[in-house]
Amino acid sequence: MADDQTTIAVHHTKPVLDVRNLGVRFDSHIGAVRAVRDVSFTLEPGETLGIVGESGSGKSVTSLAIMGLLPMPPAVVESGEVLFDGRDLLTLPQRQMRKIRGGALSMIFQDPMTSLNPLLTVGKQLGEVLAIHEGLRGRKARARCAAALDNVGIPNPEQRLAAYPHELSGGMRQRVMIAMGLLCNPKVLIADEPTTALDVTIQAQILELMQRLQAEHGTAIVLITHDLGVVAGMVDRVQVMYAGRVVEKAPADPLFAQPMHPYTRGLLASIPTLEGSPGKRLFSIDGQPPDLADLPPGCSFAPRCTLANERCRESEPPLELAGEGQGVHRRYSACFELDRLLLDSRASLPAPTNSAEEVQR
Amino acid sequence: MLQFLFRRLLWFAITLFSVVTISFFLMRAVRGGPFDNERALHPAIEANLEARYHLDWPVWKQYLQYVGPFNLDHEGLVLFGGDNSNVFGGVLTGDLGPSFKLRDYTVNDIIGQSLPISIALGSVAMAIALTLGLTAGIVSALRRGTALDLGMRLFATVGIALPNFVIAAFLIIIFAFQLELLPVAGWGSPRYLPLPALALGAPFAAYIARLTRTGMLEVLSADYIRTARAKGLPEWLVLLRHAIKGGILPVVSYLGPATAGILTGSLVIERMFAIPGTGSHFVGSALNRDYTLAMGVTILYTVLVYGLNTLVDLAYTLLDPRIELENS
Amino acid sequence: MASKHKEAAGYDSGSGRFDLDAGQLQALLNEAKRFKGESLWQDAWRRLGRNRGAWWSLVFLTLFVGLSFFAPVLPLPSPMALDPQSEPQPPFLPWEASPRLPENLPPGRSFEFGTGATSSLGAFADNAWRHRTFLDFQLRAEWLPGDPPPGGDELRDLVKAASGRSSAVFVKDGDEPGTVIERHAVPLRDGDRARVEYRPTGFDGTAQVLVVGRDAGAREAWVDFEVDLDRGALESYEVRTSGDGIELVYTLGDEGDQLRDRRYLAEVRGADGITVTRLRIDGERVPLSWSVDGGADPAGLDGQTDAADDLVAALESADQIDLQHLSELQVVSQDGERSIVVRRQAVPAIGQEGHNHADLARAVRAEIASRGSRAALLEMSHLDGIWDLNPLDRALVWVRTKVFGLWQTGPLLGTDNKGRDLLARIVWGSRISIQVSLVATLCSLLIGVTYGAFSGLVGGRTDNLMMRIVDVLYSVPFIFVVIFLITLINEYRTDLADYGIGYMTVFYVVIGAIYWLTMARVVRGQVLSLKNQEFVEAARVLGASTPRILFVHLVPNVLSIVIVYLTLTIPAVMLFEAFLSFLGLGVEPPKVSWGLLAVDGTEAISAVKTFWWVVVFPAMAMGSTLLALNILGDGLRDALDPKLRGKD
Repeated sequence: MADDQTTIAVHHTKPVLDVRNLGVRFDSHIGAVRAVRDVSFTLEPGETLGIVGESGSGKSVTSLAIMGLLPMPPAVVESGEVLFDGRDLLTLPQRQMRKIRGGALSMIFQDPMTSLNPLLTVGKQLGEVLAIHEGLRGRKARARCAAALDNVGIPNPEQRLAAYPHELSGGMRQRVMIAMGLLCNPKVLIADEPTTALDVTIQAQILELMQRLQAEHGTAIVLITHDLGVVAGMVDRVQVMYAGRVVEKAPADPLFAQPMHPYTRGLLASIPTLEGSPGKRLFSIDGQPPDLADLPPGCSFAPRCTLANERCRESEPPLELAGEGQGVHRRYSACFELDRLLLDSRASLPAPTNSAEEVQR
Repeated sequence: MLQFLFRRLLWFAITLFSVVTISFFLMRAVRGGPFDNERALHPAIEANLEARYHLDWPVWKQYLQYVGPFNLDHEGLVLFGGDNSNVFGGVLTGDLGPSFKLRDYTVNDIIGQSLPISIALGSVAMAIALTLGLTAGIVSALRRGTALDLGMRLFATVGIALPNFVIAAFLIIIFAFQLELLPVAGWGSPRYLPLPALALGAPFAAYIARLTRTGMLEVLSADYIRTARAKGLPEWLVLLRHAIKGGILPVVSYLGPATAGILTGSLVIERMFAIPGTGSHFVGSALNRDYTLAMGVTILYTVLVYGLNTLVDLAYTLLDPRIELENS
Repeated sequence: MASKHKEAAGYDSGSGRFDLDAGQLQALLNEAKRFKGESLWQDAWRRLGRNRGAWWSLVFLTLFVGLSFFAPVLPLPSPMALDPQSEPQPPFLPWEASPRLPENLPPGRSFEFGTGATSSLGAFADNAWRHRTFLDFQLRAEWLPGDPPPGGDELRDLVKAASGRSSAVFVKDGDEPGTVIERHAVPLRDGDRARVEYRPTGFDGTAQVLVVGRDAGAREAWVDFEVDLDRGALESYEVRTSGDGIELVYTLGDEGDQLRDRRYLAEVRGADGITVTRLRIDGERVPLSWSVDGGADPAGLDGQTDAADDLVAALESADQIDLQHLSELQVVSQDGERSIVVRRQAVPAIGQEGHNHADLARAVRAEIASRGSRAALLEMSHLDGIWDLNPLDRALVWVRTKVFGLWQTGPLLGTDNKGRDLLARIVWGSRISIQVSLVATLCSLLIGVTYGAFSGLVGGRTDNLMMRIVDVLYSVPFIFVVIFLITLINEYRTDLADYGIGYMTVFYVVIGAIYWLTMARVVRGQVLSLKNQEFVEAARVLGASTPRILFVHLVPNVLSIVIVYLTLTIPAVMLFEAFLSFLGLGVEPPKVSWGLLAVDGTEAISAVKTFWWVVVFPAMAMGSTLLALNILGDGLRDALDPKLRGKD
């Protein structure tokens, strides 16, 4: 499945979303927090890009910066541009930005419990999107909304339009959010942890739904998650973020087969599997993500990395081409010790050996 | 809904009954009658007066007479038969009896004359409190951390911390004496309204501003506001449709206490500005031992506050779909 | 940040392990223990310290409470007495005014008053604040529609012409439209000597005695003497007055000696001149015989004993006699207990430069008539009072005289329209305000916590009903009921005073009684949520008794929320006290509270001249304190919020 989509992506040349060297900083009383540093990626029409990382790695900030929803102040976009259909969203006037936002570029948020206004009916909240972007009101708008709800698999859509969010279950609410995001047939949909707040069974349903809708509408999706499991069956390409930086960039399948950054490897190793022997403890990456206001001079991951050496602690490794992949299969990694990592992981995949042994003891 | 109203009505009846009964018996328990203070009343006149106000009756009979249209004759309560010539009005029929001090006036007359004045003053004060409070609160929340916000918060805290008659004094000094824009005191034309209404409304405006600011800040940081922005709504629509409704919910639930507070504050403000409203009559009656008038006003205001509280509760459920009436 | 900690604790980043020696481990363990052991209070205290606003509010309040507690030590002028002035004086700079009091102040005696300050310090020795007397005229002026309303000046001229002194004026709205009532306080001077006047009441030749003290006016004065009748029957007795005291001289049957019971004028409550009306002997009140010492007995009061006895004898036969034509004397006899209560009405006092005060009233009336003014003299009374000092305050005053001698500051914040020092009044007023709000809040606390805790603990139907009652009370406009209650209680004041219940006590209870509702609700909510929590269940399972659960587990948890509401109730009570003071139902002069000061301030504003300091300074004192209390309350709420616990 992932292969099919990759081939689709090959045919297009002009990306619908092109983020270049994005940098965002928050000015707070403890000093400047550099939440996003030098993040670049492109998104082809119909493609799905996964952005993966721990909380605080800058993935949500990236998405909010693209949407122009960062609270400013305290947020400051330091550098970069976000090209959407050739226009830089960062410099676009508010009025034009609003037309794009929610229309051609829309977003789904993490928590469907709080992301819907509890005081307005579902119908009203859906309807205003149409009113704003297409000037559609009244019965026609209602019909469109009902159709959208039907499309995301909500039974009795006509009745649900009159319901308040608290009368719906969590899964239903997230479906409403998705319907809202897709209402105006966006070219790009940014989904920020769309399944995190949901039960596992519901999660699967929602992901399936998103896949189906993407196939129907051809919408490009940026899927932001901390859960590599979600990414696995869903996305074409993955971009792993750590402490505000992109540390690895790769097509999905090769990344799972052969992670090219110690952090990615750690993330993969910490996914619970059915094959693991009972009694074996689940792997976890030691330590905490760094304080973004007080970053170490070298690689941000160095303090937690078992491969780190002096060089890693002194200078920051750039994101460079890695491996033999060509075209869309090109891979990037930001690690000085890539060779050691590859050697090391060939010996025993997926768990990094020495730490796992220690954990076992 | 109906069940809610019915239950409210039931509790209202109980409340009113307790207020009327307790204050009636307290009043009767007081040593001496309402005419004691006056000097050298001829015994015949005094007897006449007592007869007129039924003070010569036993207390239980006086109570029945005060409370409702019972058929009372000289033997006592007549439940069946008898002629109806002795059926008097009472609180149940809306008749609050005669005033003890202002002869030739009934309590109903006095309230009838003064209540419109108090209602005019109170509603203008409420309008001022809401307008000022909501505006200041919303602006303050939107311009959080700026000098404007700081200034408004300072004003609000001072407004909460000062008694309203001190605010009234400042207003009089500024607007009546220094600028000579408005009259010092009195009642009659619209020019008399702004100062007392402002003084009466100011503390509530301050409190409402504070509530609104907190409420708005909470709502503005809510996820659904971000959703609304992500939909591409212009900022004013985000504010108007999504933020304000949730932000002023605390204000709505404060409206009940605020109404009671404005009624209370009117006691002072009406006296300060020499406004012949119900509040000043109440204070006058309490100080002059005109118990029927004082009781009448207490009963009236109980009804008012209770009714308005019920309305506020209803309004709250209309605004917030998450609240259900049966639970309250 | 975290990494630095780790390094300090021996974190080896190479192996990703902690490498600790025993000492470090012990230190870490200790720290962990300390952290675990940090109680709710320590945590709250730490968090309060971080909240700058709340912290400074606490400091400010502590300072302020300290200042008002030590008010008697401060070298401030008397809050009650200064030179009488016809209008408020603006603030002085400290170096402009430093009145020195005469050296070698004779204790316990009044002396030639140069300034009010001397009289106040002189009164120290009498253990009370004394206050220059004012004769208060209430004049009602009417005007016809179309005429300009009579200004204060017209009536002030009138009073000045009649009395030869300028007066302080309060203007109040009249009882009818088109009228204004002015109170003119005419200062009594040193030359206004004390007199004793006898006045026939017209009933059986009895007389009422009015004793006008040297430094006192005439309101209601009760003097109780105690005679120990166990030692013998009362053989004979007489009452003597002197310049600064009143004395019962009596002989008891067996002993034959003359015994004395002496009361000082200064200690007479509400004195204004002394109207001696009763003598309590063996639980009964017996009318006195009168005797006035020295030659100052113009009316020849000696030997009136029989007449008074006759009166009682006459009254014993009747159950209740209302003596219409003797409005000053109401005699009630119930169930064999004889009592005589003399109600003072407007009694003509004397002492105005050799003139009877009634003469002065006549002079005012004559002046009105000669000018053809539409003013009317309504009432004439004395304004004054004695401010009792309790033993602690007396000790503080003693400290003051030792430290500062007779030096005192000038009116730093100006004076009010009776020439009383505003700063002193604000400081002394704060004592009453703090006292009222603290005691009343504690009353509300007592009622609210008991009610709420009971309701929450019992639960079920009782709880439901009790909370319904609270709901109902919430929607009663309670303040109307309270005003109603206070006026009712006012009728019983003298009776309550007999039982030692002062007006202030009633005041506290009544205010406390209306502020308990929120407290009850909050406590009940807290108890209810705690009751079902696991640690309480666990305690119950372990067999802890109900009181133990209550005091060990519930009380500390409820306490935090109670403290928060306590700090938020105090400002509300202060405002309510001001509110009642405005309506004339609060603290009574000569004592002063912030509410009363604020009321004075609003009365001092006039179109002619803005006495801004009379309004601004009390408002500032009150406003800043209430503000600080509000900020502190909010800060405490945040600090004690268990949800925010452990966060910064």
